[in-house]
Amino acid sequence: MTDQIREQLSALLDGELPRDEMDLLMRRLEKDPELRRTFGSYALIGETLRAPGGRVAPPSFAARVTAAIGDSPASVEKASTTRAVSVAQQPQHVALWKRPMVRTALAASVAATAVLLFRPDVAPIAQLEVTPANSFAMSASPTPAQSQRLAGYMVAHSQFSTPMVRRNVLSSLLAADPGITRVSYEMGEAR
Amino acid sequence: MQAMPNFPPSDESMKSREPGDDDAGLPAGTEQSDLELVRRAQQNERGAFDLLVLKYQHKVIKLVARLLRDPTEAEDVAQEAFVKAYRALGSFRGDSAFYTWLYRIAVNTARNSIASRQRRPLDYEAELSESEQNNVAARLKHDDTPEATVLSEEIRQTVNAAIEQLPEDLRTAIVLREIEGLSYEEIATTMDCPVGTVRSRIFRAREAIDRALKPLID
Repeated sequence: MTDQIREQLSALLDGELPRDEMDLLMRRLEKDPELRRTFGSYALIGETLRAPGGRVAPPSFAARVTAAIGDSPASVEKASTTRAVSVAQQPQHVALWKRPMVRTALAASVAATAVLLFRPDVAPIAQLEVTPANSFAMSASPTPAQSQRLAGYMVAHSQFSTPMVRRNVLSSLLAADPGITRVSYEMGEAR
Repeated sequence: MQAMPNFPPSDESMKSREPGDDDAGLPAGTEQSDLELVRRAQQNERGAFDLLVLKYQHKVIKLVARLLRDPTEAEDVAQEAFVKAYRALGSFRGDSAFYTWLYRIAVNTARNSIASRQRRPLDYEAELSESEQNNVAARLKHDDTPEATVLSEEIRQTVNAAIEQLPEDLRTAIVLREIEGLSYEEIATTMDCPVGTVRSRIFRAREAIDRALKPLID
């Protein structure tokens, strides 16, 4: 602990330490108990000069407070209150798309759309006007890369849907494209 | 006995206190420094709150010991006050000085401790400002334990003796800072020297006193 650091500590106690010097000093303080003791001693000197007499804190007092606080973050009470309020308000204020039922239906419809997009034998899709943006969906059969993408999509979808929806979408998908089975197996073997 | 104030005390309730209570004799710059430490502690920088404890531990224990009938409880109650302050730190917005807020929490915690033990509190003291309480310290000394009184007296004598031994420029700087409460800039003007010199003199004065105190408080 150098004189320079202790001089910074003295200035910190007086509120005269420039902010750019403070960050480094705070990090040192966290690691150095002797530096903390010195800070406590400087504070005691001022207290004794301003108001002599009365009790003084024993050397272990600050450590006892730290132990009593434990690992809890500051403002625990406020944070937990905020959490409780937000949970209580959820049914009234939650966005429509966040509700479980709606979320499941959305996921299922997106999955179904994806399946239909990759099925060349479905008439409505086949009648779509071909543009550069959607031309990939018009190919005769899905390429392995497309099938793999779809399988990846299924994995992601399964995390947000109910088991029943998952089964329905999966079985229709498998029926429509045997390539998916192949890719899924390959992915399973890769693991 | 007055009704217990709400906990944690709102900054608004602090505004209703008498002028002069806020700083409670604290030197210039302290409030700003405390706000910075509070801001850091609110961002869960634990070291910052530790510094606030180190800074105010003696003041809070002294205050609480004067309020309690049994001064041996002072450390426990002061500890509880600090823990409450830490947990309520999110509600502190900086509209008042940190010590004013902490002072109020300490007074409330001491009162609750007294009430929970169904003892008659020394109500009139809780209503006094910190500076007024310092003035009545002498007549309340009988509330301290003999050990605490002896230690406190030894510390006072050691600090005074160490200050007497200081070169004049260091002694003037530390007295202007700690007793008169001047900022570094004001001291620099008074002593006709750069602010950096003031910072160095105050530090060297503290170092000399700390060396003398170390055997007592370790």
